[in-house]
Amino acid sequence: METRALGDTGQESTVLTFGSIALNWLEQEGANQLVELVLDHGVNHFDVAPTYGDAELKLGPKLRQYRDDIFLSCKTQKREYEGAARKIDRSLDRLGIDTIDLYQIHGLEYEDELDTITADGGALDAIHEAKAAGKIDHIGLTSHGNPELILDAIDRIDDLETVMFPLNPVVAGKNDGEYDYEAVLERCESEGIGTLGIKAFAKGSWPPTDELAEADRPYANWYEPVDTPETVRERFDFAAAQGLDTVVSPGDPKLVAMVLDAASRSEGMDEARQRAVIEEARHDDSPVPEQLHH
Amino acid sequence: MSVDDVPETVTAALADQQVEGRVCLEAGAGVGNTTAGLLAAGAERVYAVTNDADHAVTVRERVGDGNADRLVVIEADLRATPLATDGVDLVTAHGLCNVLPPVELDPIAAELTRVAKPDSRLVVDDYGVPPSGAAVNRLFTLENAAARVVDGRPALTFYPPAVLAAVFAEHGWTVERKKTLLDPVPWTGAHLDAHAEVVRGYADRLPDVVGEPLTAMAEDLVAAIGSERTGTMYNLAFRLAD
Repeated sequence: METRALGDTGQESTVLTFGSIALNWLEQEGANQLVELVLDHGVNHFDVAPTYGDAELKLGPKLRQYRDDIFLSCKTQKREYEGAARKIDRSLDRLGIDTIDLYQIHGLEYEDELDTITADGGALDAIHEAKAAGKIDHIGLTSHGNPELILDAIDRIDDLETVMFPLNPVVAGKNDGEYDYEAVLERCESEGIGTLGIKAFAKGSWPPTDELAEADRPYANWYEPVDTPETVRERFDFAAAQGLDTVVSPGDPKLVAMVLDAASRSEGMDEARQRAVIEEARHDDSPVPEQLHH
Repeated sequence: MSVDDVPETVTAALADQQVEGRVCLEAGAGVGNTTAGLLAAGAERVYAVTNDADHAVTVRERVGDGNADRLVVIEADLRATPLATDGVDLVTAHGLCNVLPPVELDPIAAELTRVAKPDSRLVVDDYGVPPSGAAVNRLFTLENAAARVVDGRPALTFYPPAVLAAVFAEHGWTVERKKTLLDPVPWTGAHLDAHAEVVRGYADRLPDVVGEPLTAMAEDLVAAIGSERTGTMYNLAFRLAD
């Protein structure tokens, strides 16, 4: 599988990162097998979080067995020193390892969170302390939030080395600032910050729960995913073609094999096809009437 | 709606053009996609010319806000516009030529050339001939049949890029670059609906005994096709001789 430099971290990550939340839905034996399958495809970057149920615990055995082959990223949603420090130690304990390769401030949504994180006694202090102690190696950020806020975080966190954010044809087709993650991508590229793409396989939101109960959803993703080999391949190729360093696999284990296949066989996507994919998504919910043309 | 919502096709077509500070003419403004792109790219002024009153209203509503000093929407026949000679730096024709019958191509090329300054640029974006097996051809054929019955002219003609290059070459334009904008072209349900709406428009001008089956056929075709990815959309960038 193709590898790309993860910003200036020195890490060469495979263009597919395994979203280890998928392990949460499996028994330990199944989790072990899925990790073996992922590694067989050459994937060398795994992402996990303490909020993904038992994913850390289920990843642990194979992570320890193949520790040198896996670049591990983990996260915290804690915004203050105490909580973040505890979460780092807890994740290390649950994973059974000494060092987390990339530790990310998870799910940044509001400006005031950024204030807390970067203030004295904020999560960033705990992360810096852990880094000095050798518990973590690199510092990152994840957000589904406003691109402006992410750009602000890049300005305010001097030693930020990676950013994880959504990128797919629906997002790419929206030009308004609320969805301008391409600006984030450009900024990261210019500053040597690594980029991890999420929601690459999102087809849309799930129907409201009164129409489709959460328990009846066919996939364990936050969103309704694309789920045919053709659409999965197209979405992977599109995301990889945007210039992301790596694309995170979807959260449902049933989709992982399909995504591994797509990433292994990817031959890129030319610009005319990228535009075709964006235009198709754009017209699906365009407010402009009477579109004879593209 | 604002100038933010510019299709990728337009952005790609204009990417290597000098738009900022230029006087532009969007020939066949449609729903204002290219007009929005030209304004977003910093055009000094955009003349959005259309012969369709509804389109003129749509363009004004869509991109008129905040652009009163830069946008001039003109309802006119492209063969005879009220624009001054040698006044425009950049002419765009995005998805225009496919709705022009062959007989109108030359007079429109002549008029666009008249209003363009020497050494100006022209951007022509259009569809290649769809592959013979494409399902959308059935809808396009019906659309043309309806148009011929009502107007005695086709609604759609797909010109290969070499044909349009030759038409404009006759008026002094040289192709500087060719680019593929879409491959494949995503004919979505919304596009097919829009084409069925064209058929409906013609059918309304016919006796019910002819019009109703035409409309029904268009609706059946839209339902049967659903959506289709086929063919290409190309972009030609021209320069006018000094």
